[in-house]
Amino acid sequence: MIERILLSIKQLPAFPATVQKVSELLRNEDYDVNAVVNVIKYDQGITANILKISNSAYFGVRQKIRSIHDAVIYLGQKNLLRALQTASVGRIFSKGTAGYGMKTRELWGHSVAVALMSQIVSRRIARREDATLYTAALLHDVGKLIMGEYVQESSQRIFALMESGKYSFLEAEEAVIGINHAELGGRVAVYWNFPPEIHDAIAYHHRPDRILSGDAMIPSLVYIADQFCLMMGIDGGMDGLAHRGISEVMHKYGLKEKDLEQSMLALYDELEQADELLRIVN
Amino acid sequence: MNFMGDVIIGISDFNCSRKPDDVLVTYALGSCIAVVVFDPVAMVGGMLHFMLPDSTLDKNKASASPAMFADTGIPLLFKSCYALGAEKRRMIVKIAGGASILNDGDYFRIGQKNITAVRKIFWKNNVMIDGEDTGQNYNRTVRLQIADGKCLVRTSGGVVKEL
Repeated sequence: MIERILLSIKQLPAFPATVQKVSELLRNEDYDVNAVVNVIKYDQGITANILKISNSAYFGVRQKIRSIHDAVIYLGQKNLLRALQTASVGRIFSKGTAGYGMKTRELWGHSVAVALMSQIVSRRIARREDATLYTAALLHDVGKLIMGEYVQESSQRIFALMESGKYSFLEAEEAVIGINHAELGGRVAVYWNFPPEIHDAIAYHHRPDRILSGDAMIPSLVYIADQFCLMMGIDGGMDGLAHRGISEVMHKYGLKEKDLEQSMLALYDELEQADELLRIVN
Repeated sequence: MNFMGDVIIGISDFNCSRKPDDVLVTYALGSCIAVVVFDPVAMVGGMLHFMLPDSTLDKNKASASPAMFADTGIPLLFKSCYALGAEKRRMIVKIAGGASILNDGDYFRIGQKNITAVRKIFWKNNVMIDGEDTGQNYNRTVRLQIADGKCLVRTSGGVVKEL
């Protein structure tokens, strides 16, 4: 089974080059609006998604956005990039199968929640938001999209192992399928030529303690954001809370229980405003 | 799956009913807890899905959404059921949820804190908990049928049991 799963990575669409191109253009403070519009317009799927989400209360733009040109002007650098990332990853989810008894839209809902939570936690710890972290968080469960079609018959066995209390969800996946969804997501990141921090954030999003080299900040924040969302019941499938708690990560960033509780309140508010982001995947 | 008559209770939300066709449902309880009450004489039921134990965390939030916290949500749930004719002495009380992450004693345990908060509130108010499915590390969906007061808990693995 594992060979078949790994082969199916190659059937994934390429990660939209639009994101990379626009990021580069936006790096210049005086970016050329028309140049950005022309890059985005070239991709119809992404254009449609951006128009669906640009008027979301989450971005807080007062003017009505009716075209990509409006979006580029009114969203501003940070929100334009965020809308573009969300729109692009949403396209990939639209074409996938979530598996584990859940609908793709539910896995997307979890992914968006983790992405929003990653920024909430980043603001607390580092006093800033982080675009790379946002992408990594949005994609952390991409392995489940690949695994989706293969796990239907395995899910009962995975659940039985978890129920024994001796296996985390990840360990049960490894025992039954031979690979876990995080590691598989890491292979997808390699296929898409993502930078190491996004690769590590996806591949180690349940075990950031296993990262041996490099800066583990982004993977750790994805881990934390994911755990916080799982506790709120915004889940990514049948795993529930069957994950290993790694308290050293919390200590490393000085997070206290109160930070967790306040982050939950913040996410609750943000999700109420982010409805349009959730609705781009059916 | 939703059916006609399903009344969905979101996170930090509550509802009460005495319509026999209604089924109160809450999905995906992680560390959150569902408090389910039913008066078998008045045939009134209610459900609360609270997120955190203690409203002192954020007073403004607590007054805007009292169902978010155990200490503000539980009194609200009971009072709303009284308004429909329920009486405290007849109310059957059940709780579900409060899951925690696996085996790290030092890790945040919101689930455990939520369980302790509910038990303490009921103990102080002389209310017995008649049924409980809490803790562990799986998510739960809870349904309360107003027609007969039956309370069903479904785990993320698909097992359904009556509380």
